[in-house]
This record gives sequence, structure tokens and C-alpha cells, in this order.
Amino acid sequence: MTTTLADNGSIGTAEDIIICRNVNKWFGSFQALKDVSTTVKRGEKIVIVGPSGSGKSTFIRTINRLEEHQSGDIIVDGIELTKDVRNIDAIRSEVGMVFQQFNLFPHLTVMDNITLAPMKVRHWSRGQAEGVGLELLTRVGIPEQADKYPNELSGGQQQRVAIARALAMQPKIMLFDEPTSALDPEMINEVLDAMRELAYSGMTMMIVTHEIGFAREVADRIIMMDEGRIVEENTANEFFDNPASERTKLFLSQIL
Amino acid sequence: MAFNNAQASGSAPPPRYQAGIAGWIRENLFSSRFNGSLTVITAALLLLAAWFCLRWVLLTADWSVIATIGGGFFIGQYNTELACPGQNCFWRPQAGLLLVTLLLGMAWGVVGRVGMQVALAVGIVSAALAFLPYDMESMGPDVRILLIANLPVVFAGWALVRYTSLVTVQRLVIAGVIVFLLILVLLRGLPGVPGMQPVSVIHWGGLTLNLLLAVAGIVLSLPIGIALALGRRSNLPIVKLLCVVFIEIFRGVPLITLLFMSQVLVPLAFPEDFPQNSVFRAAVIITLFSSAYMAENIRGGLQALSRGQVEAARALGLAGWQTTLLIELPQAIRNVIPAIVGQFIALFKDTSLVYIIGMLDVVEIGRAFIQGNPEYLGNARELFIFLAIVFWIFTYSMSYVSGRIEEHMGVGRR
Repeated sequence: MTTTLADNGSIGTAEDIIICRNVNKWFGSFQALKDVSTTVKRGEKIVIVGPSGSGKSTFIRTINRLEEHQSGDIIVDGIELTKDVRNIDAIRSEVGMVFQQFNLFPHLTVMDNITLAPMKVRHWSRGQAEGVGLELLTRVGIPEQADKYPNELSGGQQQRVAIARALAMQPKIMLFDEPTSALDPEMINEVLDAMRELAYSGMTMMIVTHEIGFAREVADRIIMMDEGRIVEENTANEFFDNPASERTKLFLSQIL
Repeated sequence: MAFNNAQASGSAPPPRYQAGIAGWIRENLFSSRFNGSLTVITAALLLLAAWFCLRWVLLTADWSVIATIGGGFFIGQYNTELACPGQNCFWRPQAGLLLVTLLLGMAWGVVGRVGMQVALAVGIVSAALAFLPYDMESMGPDVRILLIANLPVVFAGWALVRYTSLVTVQRLVIAGVIVFLLILVLLRGLPGVPGMQPVSVIHWGGLTLNLLLAVAGIVLSLPIGIALALGRRSNLPIVKLLCVVFIEIFRGVPLITLLFMSQVLVPLAFPEDFPQNSVFRAAVIITLFSSAYMAENIRGGLQALSRGQVEAARALGLAGWQTTLLIELPQAIRNVIPAIVGQFIALFKDTSLVYIIGMLDVVEIGRAFIQGNPEYLGNARELFIFLAIVFWIFTYSMSYVSGRIEEHMGVGRR
């Protein structure tokens, strides 16, 4: 399977939903991403690991352009990310994101957090949005919390609301930026369960996490990053049992 | 063995000395010999001060100056022969007051408890004014009736909400704007209409003037301040520069200076045939001055938001303006309500400064009265204490209402 920019303008194959080619990103004079290239197929689950400051978060944040890359190409679902605002908005409504700090809107109830974007961006009616909202809250296991405010929920519940909020836009891709890192240990599993369920439903997912057990179980592929580069990319079993690079071996010896 | 509930659930009852009034007094006032003696000395001093104050208020002070100025506190020279020759014009500001109490009555129906407290307070005080022993015969017999009418009008406004579906929040806001404009028309008059003979704004004064300037300033400076705050954070360099320049100029110059300059500068900003007068110019200056401070308050609230809020909104596909309007501003404003209300209070007090451009606000009415009537020179203390109490009642009400609003919005606070 080749990934080419065909003459008729269509990009990649139908199966490739995210294509990154030689992506570079600088913060001032510091280069955060160095020639990052990878391709994600529809339905694939990619886990990105690496030491802190290795560019994992920056990388997934370029995919919905929360960070702007300065050179290279990023093509999401056939749309190339350029300065064109319409492209950015189009991609953002196709790509859901879950943050380390949840970033729920504290002035809105759980239900309003979920229904806001579908109503304002997709122009759904309130009834339709709330129907989907309740369905999603049931799916992540907290339908009874719909009328509460985010600060009345535990961290794990908040993160599950954040997942439901992202899913309400019916995205084709979900990005997770260390979704369990800010949680108390006893709440990590309830969030991982929700993510596991999502993974088995066939969602395309890119996940930055330190939860190695989860990565091993869910990931089709693991990407190891260090100092802004992809140092290794492999299937989960190969990656953990038979790491190719010395850097990966060192990293695994430190976290396992 | 019997367990009480507290023990059964694993928590012990609080230590006895913390409970009850006696416990509170023992713990907070007499916890040690030193604290106990401090309490006794402080209590003695407070009692002494209270005794002197009361003796002065009830026995020494001569409050006749307040009664003599009477309605002048509220409308200044509006009803004098000079302003309104050959007619009784006092009913016009009073009709304005009735419109306000009607509005407050409706607000009571819509808002609930806080609205009720404000509406009833205004209604009762207005009605009570009719029974004060100042000379109102010169103002015509209908004056007392109009004042007393305020109380039933409050209930009428409330009933309008309670028993009809005519009043909604939006309509209430629109009604507020209409009432404000109606009051301006009532005060200014309409040429050719019987009983509505025009009264020049140079005769507007008293508390009415303070309140008109304050309401205009408060209602307009919030949206202008929000616009300036957003402009200052804009990515467009020209917009940003203009907003910064505006804010820094209006914050950097004393209000008194701006008011002096208003007579020269404001006319430059409007077309030559634009109807303007000293009250309008003062209102413009006070509004702009307050907007500059308001902008910085709002900007403070915006800065305090975590970047994650904007990122989450943008990641969901919300456009930039939607993020600002639906995510950033509601949180920013809620976070700085105390600062905003502080600015409103400052603005209300600052309306007194219009005396320097020759307007007779409520303080200047009193000062001018004493100056013109030397026999009252010895009563300046009573006069200014009265004025201080009047201002305090208004500012404390603002502070009280804002506290309730904060409580109300505090639901779901981080």
C-alpha cells in the first residue's frame, strides 16, 4: 500500500486516516518535533510512550492543530492541515480530544458540557443533543450525574464526562493526552474501562499514556518518542517483548 | 451497652465547650485571663462610644436642616420657580420613581427573594417619605399621594408577573431601557404638551442626577469594558493598540480633569447639531472613565482562566467567537464580580464629582444650601452625616445584591 499525493488531489488511501510526513515543530529555538512521520489506519489504536519532554503530547496536539507545525504535512481524513481556518474547524469537529486536566467547563452542567458543541457546531436541536448526551453518559457509566456541575464529581467521573463530551461530536478519531495522569490511583481503572470499551467499538485512537498494561492490551502499535523523534514503532507485543532500540530498552527498564 | 448515633457511625460528638452561646463566648472572648481583660476593656470603650453617639444623635444634634432641604435632596432645583415657572413640576420625577418601583416589582416577580428585598425596601422608603414632617404644601397636595402610591405599585408589578405571562426576562430588560428613556423625557419635558413644559438640564439635580449618571454609567460601562478587554487581547495589532491607548488614557487621567475637559472635548466627538448638554457630557465621561477600569477587571478575569478551557472548546470545533462568548466570558465575569461591583460602587460615589462642572448633585445641594443659609452653618455635621448614610445605603445595597448574585452563580464553582 503506497501513500501518495495523486494528481486528482485525493490524498493517501481510503484506509489511512492520519498521515504525518516529516513534521517539524519549534517552540522558539527549541525543536520539539523532528521529522516525525507515521500513518494511522482507520480503526487503529496507537499508543505513544516516551520520557517527559519527548514531544508525545506536542505530537498529538498537532493533529487537531492545538499546536501549529512549521514544516511537513499532516493530513487528517483527506484534509490537509494548513493555515486555512475552514480546514482546521472541519478537522477539529472530526477529531475528539481528551486532556490530562479534563478541561470540563466549570460553569456548565455535565449535560450542558456535552451538548454545547453539538448544538453550536452541528446545529442539533437541544432534544437531539440531550438524547445523545444521555446515551453517552450511560455508555461511560454515569447517567445519573447529568445535572451536576463538574466540580461535584470525582476526577474519574470528570474524565469520563470529558470522554462523553468529545464523543458527542461523533468524531472519527479520538486523541487522548495522558488521560489518567491527573487521577488518584483508584480512579484510573474506571477511565481505562471507558477507553477500552471505546477501543473495542472500533474507534481510531491515538493515546499518550504511561499505563503500560493498558497499552499492551489495547494498542495495535506502540510509538516510542525521545527528544522529538520517533525512535521505535512496533506492534505491542514486539515492542515490549523484543524492543529493537537501546533507548526503548532503557525506557522500559525504567518504567516496568 | 448503648451507643448513640454519632458513635455508631464512627465519629465522636464535638467537645462540649464548643457548643452553645455560652461555649462560644467562653472560647472566643474569655479563653485566657489576658483575652478576658481585653474583652472587658473593649466592651467598656464600645459602650462609651455608643453612649456619646446616641446622646449626640438624639439630644444635641439638630436635624431640622434635613427637613428644610427636604425634597431638594431628591430633585435639586428642579421644582423651583426658576426651573419650572408657574407650574408644579414635582410630579414628573415622582412619576419617574413610580415607573422605577413598577420595574422593581416586576423584577421581584422574576428574580425572587433578592428582587423582593430591593423592591420592598424602595417601595416602603418612598411611601414613608410622604409622612416625614417637611414642608410639602408648596409642592401641591398630590405629592404625598404619588409617594404613597409607590408601595401598591410595587405589588402591582409583582402581580403582573405572578398572574399574567406578559413579563419575561428579555421583556423586563427592554422595559428597563424604556423606563430609563421615559424618565429622561419626563424630566426634560415636551414642548407644547400641557404639564410637560421643558426643564433645562442645568436645573436637574439632587439624588435623581446621581442616580441617572450612575445607572447610565453602570449599564453602559460593562459592555464597553468587555469590548475593550477583548480588544486588548485581540490578535489584530491596530484593534489592540486602540484599546490599550484608550484604557491607559482614561485610567491615567483623574476623573475631575476629564470632567473639566468634557465641556471642551465631548462636543468634538459628536456632530455639531447633535443635541447635547452638560448632563449628557458628564454621563459620557463617567461611562468612558469607568469602562477603562471595567476593561482591566474583565481582562483580569480572562487571564485567570486556564489555557485548557480555550483548548477544550477549540478542540470541540467551536469557533473563536463562540469560545469567547460561551466559555471564556461567562467564567471571567463570574470570577471578577467583586471587582466589577466595586467599580460600580466607585462610579456611583464619583457621580458626586459633577459638582465641579456646576451641577447640583445631592452633596452639592446640601453644601450650597448651607452656604446660602448662614443660619444653618452650625448644622453642617448633621447634613453630611445624613448624606453619608444616604450614600452608604445605596452602596451597601449594591454590595448586598452582588453577594446574593455570587451565591446564586456559585453553584458549580471550581
